[in-house]
Amino acid sequence: MARTKALKIDSGILQYVPKGQFYEESDAQFTAVMNMWQQLFKHDRTLFSLITLLNGTGFSKGAMNHMLLANSQSGTGTDIVPDALPQEFEANIVRYNLQKLSEERFARAIKNLLMLAGGEGFIKVNNARTRKLILEFIFSRDNKNLDSLAVNFKTKLRKLVRHALGKQTVHKILNEDEMLFTKWIGRYNSLALPVVEHLFDKQPKLRAKATGYFPLIRQYWYMKKAATEGNVENFKKYMKGMPQRTVIGFRNSFKVPIELSEIYEKSKMSDRESLQSEAAVKRSGAKTTEINYKKHDVYDLWKSFYFKLLSGDSENMDKIAEAIDYKSSKAEKLSLGECVVVIDASRSMAGSDERKLHPFLTSLSVLSILDDVKEVIYVGGKTIETPIGIKVVVPMNHTDLWKGLIRAVKTKVPNIIVLSDGYENAVKGMFKHTYDYFKNNGREFNLIHMNPVFSAEAKSGTARMLTPDVKPLPLSDYRHIETELIFNRILENKEMVKALLVNKYQKLLGGA
Amino acid sequence: MSIFQQLGFSGLGIGPVQSEDEMTVVPIVGPTRGDVASPQNLQFRSTTSYGTMVFENKDDEREAIVPSNYMVRGRGAQDHAMSGSGIIQKGRSRSFDNACCVEESQGGLLRGAEQQDVLPLDLRKALLDTGIRSRNKYNKLWGKIGGWLRGLNLGRGGRAHIRDFYDAPAISDALENFAAAFEPVENQIGAVILFNGVPVGIEIMPSSEHWEVYWKYLIRGCYGAELVRLKMLGKIRPSALVLPNIPEGSDDNKVEEIMDNFAAHIQQELLPLLEDIQIKTQTSLDQTGSMTTTLLRTDSDGGGDLVQQGDEPVYLSLVL
Repeated sequence: MARTKALKIDSGILQYVPKGQFYEESDAQFTAVMNMWQQLFKHDRTLFSLITLLNGTGFSKGAMNHMLLANSQSGTGTDIVPDALPQEFEANIVRYNLQKLSEERFARAIKNLLMLAGGEGFIKVNNARTRKLILEFIFSRDNKNLDSLAVNFKTKLRKLVRHALGKQTVHKILNEDEMLFTKWIGRYNSLALPVVEHLFDKQPKLRAKATGYFPLIRQYWYMKKAATEGNVENFKKYMKGMPQRTVIGFRNSFKVPIELSEIYEKSKMSDRESLQSEAAVKRSGAKTTEINYKKHDVYDLWKSFYFKLLSGDSENMDKIAEAIDYKSSKAEKLSLGECVVVIDASRSMAGSDERKLHPFLTSLSVLSILDDVKEVIYVGGKTIETPIGIKVVVPMNHTDLWKGLIRAVKTKVPNIIVLSDGYENAVKGMFKHTYDYFKNNGREFNLIHMNPVFSAEAKSGTARMLTPDVKPLPLSDYRHIETELIFNRILENKEMVKALLVNKYQKLLGGA
Repeated sequence: MSIFQQLGFSGLGIGPVQSEDEMTVVPIVGPTRGDVASPQNLQFRSTTSYGTMVFENKDDEREAIVPSNYMVRGRGAQDHAMSGSGIIQKGRSRSFDNACCVEESQGGLLRGAEQQDVLPLDLRKALLDTGIRSRNKYNKLWGKIGGWLRGLNLGRGGRAHIRDFYDAPAISDALENFAAAFEPVENQIGAVILFNGVPVGIEIMPSSEHWEVYWKYLIRGCYGAELVRLKMLGKIRPSALVLPNIPEGSDDNKVEEIMDNFAAHIQQELLPLLEDIQIKTQTSLDQTGSMTTTLLRTDSDGGGDLVQQGDEPVYLSLVL
C-alpha cells in the first residue's frame, strides 16, 4: 500500500465499515478514516470524487458523497473539472454510485441518502443537489418498482421526503396542491400521489384508478385494516406476498394471533434475507423453502457455513460447502502469480461481537478468488471436523506467524500472501526477525500482507503492519482487492491515476 | 515448590508465551475447577448507596464469584470498585458495603454498568491491607487514587477520578492496544503477568469460560493500565525480548529450529520465577455457601484472594 508524505491516506478510506473490531471500538476507527476523507477532499476534490468510482463499501461511499454534497462545488478553487469530463461530472458520480449501490444493497443505498438527513451521525445537508438526488432516486422509477419500494421502506422514505421538501410543502402536497406536487414529484412520476399519501400515513383512495397502479400499497392498507380490526382471515389473505418485515411488524403491533411459521411461509423475503434468516425460520417450525445457495456471494456462504457449524446446525451444510466450491470455481480470479497463502487463524481474527468472524471469513473469501495458489498454511486456530466430514479451521489461540512464514519460504514459491490483522504476540517481533534474516540472506520471495482489520492504532494508514518493509493492503471486503491495487498507484503518480479514473468515468458514465 | 503447588492447584499447564514490549503474559491452561456459576449468571445490579455494590447471581444451583477489585463505570454516577473478591449464594443478591468509590467529585448511583474493568495493579495492592479493605468508607481509596494519578498531567487538577485516566484518548488507545496484543488460548483459565521479566500478577479463574469474560478487564484495566502509567512516568525501562541470533548461512530448517528453541526457551526461563514466590500469611475472610475466601500475603509484600470450594482451590488473584 503506497502513501505520499503529503497525504497520509490509504485505500482504507474506501473500505470503512462502522463496526468495531476484536479489540477496537468503531469510534476510534471512524475518527481515523474521517481524517483521511478530509485530507483527500481538501487536497484534490476531483480525485476525491473520482476514486469513489472504485469498489468500496457502501458506508465509505455514502460518507464521501455526503462530503461532496455538503460542500458547494463552485468557488473552492480545488474543484477544477478535467477537460474530458462534463461540468456536472460530480453530480453524475454521486448519482451513479447511489444507483450502483442500490442494485447490490438497496437498504444501504437508502441509508446513504439518510446520511443527508442526519443519519448515522452525519450532519444534515439540504440543498438543491440533495433535494434532486433524493426525489429523483425515489420517484424516477416505474410504478411497479415504486410500489414495492414504498411498502418495503415506508418509514425511511417518509423521512427522506420530509427532509427534502420540508413539512410545509409535504402538508400542501398531501392536501392536493397540484402545482407543488408536479414541481417536486410529478415531474418524475405524475401518478405518484397515492405513494406520497401512503408514506405519510394518509390512506390513499383504495378504489381510485390512480391507486390501482400501486397494488402493493393497496394491499398494505387492506392488511392494516384487517390487523386493526383483528380480522385474522383477511390478514392472512392480504399478507401473501407482502414483505416479511412489514407483516411481522403488523402482527406484533396489533397482536394478530397468527403463528410466525405461517408468516415465514407466506410472506416474501429477498434471497439475502432468506439466507440470513434461515435459522430463525427453522426455529419457528415453518416449512423451509429451498434456498439456492449457488446464487449467494461466497462471503455470505462462508458466514452461513461457520454460523451453522458453531451453532451445531448441520442442515444444508453439504449444500453450502458445494456452493462455496461452485462459487470459487466460477469467481473472476485475481492473479498475483504463483503463490502460497498464510492465513492467520488466531483468536483476534474472530472479529468483534458486531461482526463475528469477519476478518477470518474475509480471508477465506480472498482465498476463493486467488489464482495459482500452491499451498495454504494456517497459523493458530483449531481444526475441527464438521458433521459433513470435512475439516475446517476456526479462529483460536495465539499468533506465531513466523512459523507460517518459515513454512511458506520452504515451499520456494515466489509470492507469499499473508492474511493477518498484523498483531503478533508469540512473541512480538519474531515475524520481522525471521523475515529480515531471509531477506538479508538471499531468499527471493515477494511478501504481500493483506489486512482484513482496520485499526486506528496503526502507525499510519488504517491497517497494522507486520514488518516496515511491507505495507499492508487494508481489506474489509474481499471484492476490494482491485481497489487496493489501483490505489497503490494513485498515490505514487496522482496525475496518471487521475487520467486513468477519468477514463473509468467515461467508460461507466460517458464523456463530456 | 511453585506457588501453584503451595496452594493446591493441580492439573495446570503453561501455554505459549505472549509478549508485547515490556509486558509478557504466560497463559495458564487447565480443566474447569469446582462447580461455579457461569459469568453470564453474575450481574452487577446497582450501587444502593455510596460504597455499596450489589450483585445478583441468577444461577439457582451454583455460587458465583465476583473477581477481585472488579470495577464498574457509568455516566452520571459514581464509579465503584470492589475492595476484594466476593461470593454470592445460589440465586441470591448480595450487597458489598465495603466497596470503594473511585470518582471523587461525581455524584449519582449506578444502575447497571456501562463499562467494566479491574482496578490497576498498584491500587489493588493498597487494598491488601485488611484495615483498608474491610473499612466501610466509600472514600477510602481517594488518597491512593490521587497519588496514583499524580504526575500524569491529565489536566483535571489532580482529582481522584480513575475515569480521567481510562478516558484520556491517548491512554484509551494504548490500553486497547494491550487488549489487542494478547489472545486467549484454548483451555486457558488464567495467566502469569510479567513486566520486564518480573512477575507482577497471577490470575486463575474457575474455567476457560470465566477467563473468556474477564481477561480483557485484567489485561487492559489492571495490568495494562499500570504499565501505561509507569511508562508515562518514566518509571519502567523500555525493553523487549531479545530475539535469537540466526547465524548467516543457516538453511530454512536451521532457522526453524532456532526460532522454535527460542520460543520454548523463554517459557522455561520464566517458570522458575514462580518458585520464588512464597506465601507468608493466610487470613480467612469469608465463608459463603460451599466457598471460602482467604487473603494471601506473599513475602514480596504482594497478595490477593484465594477462593476454595470445599478443599479445592477454584479462584486465585494475586498481585505481586
